[in-house]
Amino acid sequence: MTIESNEPLYELAGEYVLGTLTATERVALERRLPLEPELRQAVDYWEARLLHLTELVEPQAPSERLWQRIQRSMEVSDQDAVRVERRPRPSRWNSLPLWRSFTAMGMAASLVLGILLFLRPPADPSPTWLVVLATPQDLAPGWVVQASHRSQEIELIPLGITQVPPDKALQLWTKADDWQAPVSLGLVEPGEPLKIRLQDLPPLQSNQLFELTLEQPTGSPTGKPTGPIQFIGRAARML
Amino acid sequence: MSADHHYAPGTPRPERWGLLDQTVADHVSQPPVFDYEATLHACAQGERSALQRLYVQEGPRLLGVVQRIVRDIALAEDIVHDAFIRIWKKAGTYDPERGSARGWIFSVARHLALNAVRNDARYVQHEEGHANDTEHAVTEGWQAYTDTFDWRVNPGRVEACLEQLEPVRRNCVFHAYVDGYSHQEIAQRIGAPLGTVKAWIRRSLTALRECIG
Repeated sequence: MTIESNEPLYELAGEYVLGTLTATERVALERRLPLEPELRQAVDYWEARLLHLTELVEPQAPSERLWQRIQRSMEVSDQDAVRVERRPRPSRWNSLPLWRSFTAMGMAASLVLGILLFLRPPADPSPTWLVVLATPQDLAPGWVVQASHRSQEIELIPLGITQVPPDKALQLWTKADDWQAPVSLGLVEPGEPLKIRLQDLPPLQSNQLFELTLEQPTGSPTGKPTGPIQFIGRAARML
Repeated sequence: MSADHHYAPGTPRPERWGLLDQTVADHVSQPPVFDYEATLHACAQGERSALQRLYVQEGPRLLGVVQRIVRDIALAEDIVHDAFIRIWKKAGTYDPERGSARGWIFSVARHLALNAVRNDARYVQHEEGHANDTEHAVTEGWQAYTDTFDWRVNPGRVEACLEQLEPVRRNCVFHAYVDGYSHQEIAQRIGAPLGTVKAWIRRSLTALRECIG
């Protein structure tokens, strides 16, 4: 392979390793990495060649607390791992970054909650459940799910326009803590609100997970999420 | 781990000159006793003392690299924390075919730091600021631009190739890799139009690749 033939690939990989790609470009490239060995190879090329430049930076002594924090998190992570081994198909739902992100999403939830309460006329019966669906990488809120206590209906409200590749579709999933696997709630049109009847499902539970994944235009072929998670969040009961 | 080990200007490093291969350069620039690959392997086996050894070995350098990018010590420590937990959990996925173990560790930390600054509001602020600042930018005299990085102190293959770039383009590469600057930030820093900076970086990458091979 000549340098000319794959120059754009190496430029892109080089910019990724240098760090000049935008957040969106970085996410897009990281999604491609597991699927494209040539891109992976180009990234590895630059990682190895540029590593030496880290020596331009003065080392900095960490605070004493840092190792203690790492040690504590390592223990928590090991306990999670033990739990993971006992469960049938749990890796995604037990990942530490995911759960850590829920903490931040909680804050996002309270923010959106405040805005919704402010915007909605008081006569409107307030929903009992609220889920903020945020991007896993940067926790940007993208959708809100709300549901009233009595009705068997949930409402999915977009907070912006979600970019979806032309040959893909967004599919909504939910999973309560004690369910074996996520259940599909169907395909979702980016930027459009949607009401969904939860006919065959039990009522919403606290902590119930919702996620939007990128799937084939006709939905996941396996009946389980197969594509990357675009937005994810957990149900919180409103007081 | 003292900074002197790597940065004392008077330290003779004759063995580092004239190296033809970056992997060799990586190898000799580390203390030879530390086996990164074996340490990662031990982490993958759940040996907690291995992660601690790695922390003692590379914690300060990783913190330095991350702190330089995120420019906030508390955030830098958060990211180094996350990096070590990721290393701990993902050590089993490290593939020696794809690069050095030490490189893998630094990549984990650097990309966490880059994600943090790219997702941060700082990026937006700079985008807004850029229209005003670069329109009136000085657009001449870059040939005379001098180095802002003392990069010749520890030369390897990549440094030999960087030598062939004009100083201003070299600085773009350093500002990106070392400072974690976005295109906009580099443009502001060196007073060049955004499009010029983007083109310089792309061409520098191509030139480096032709030189390094």
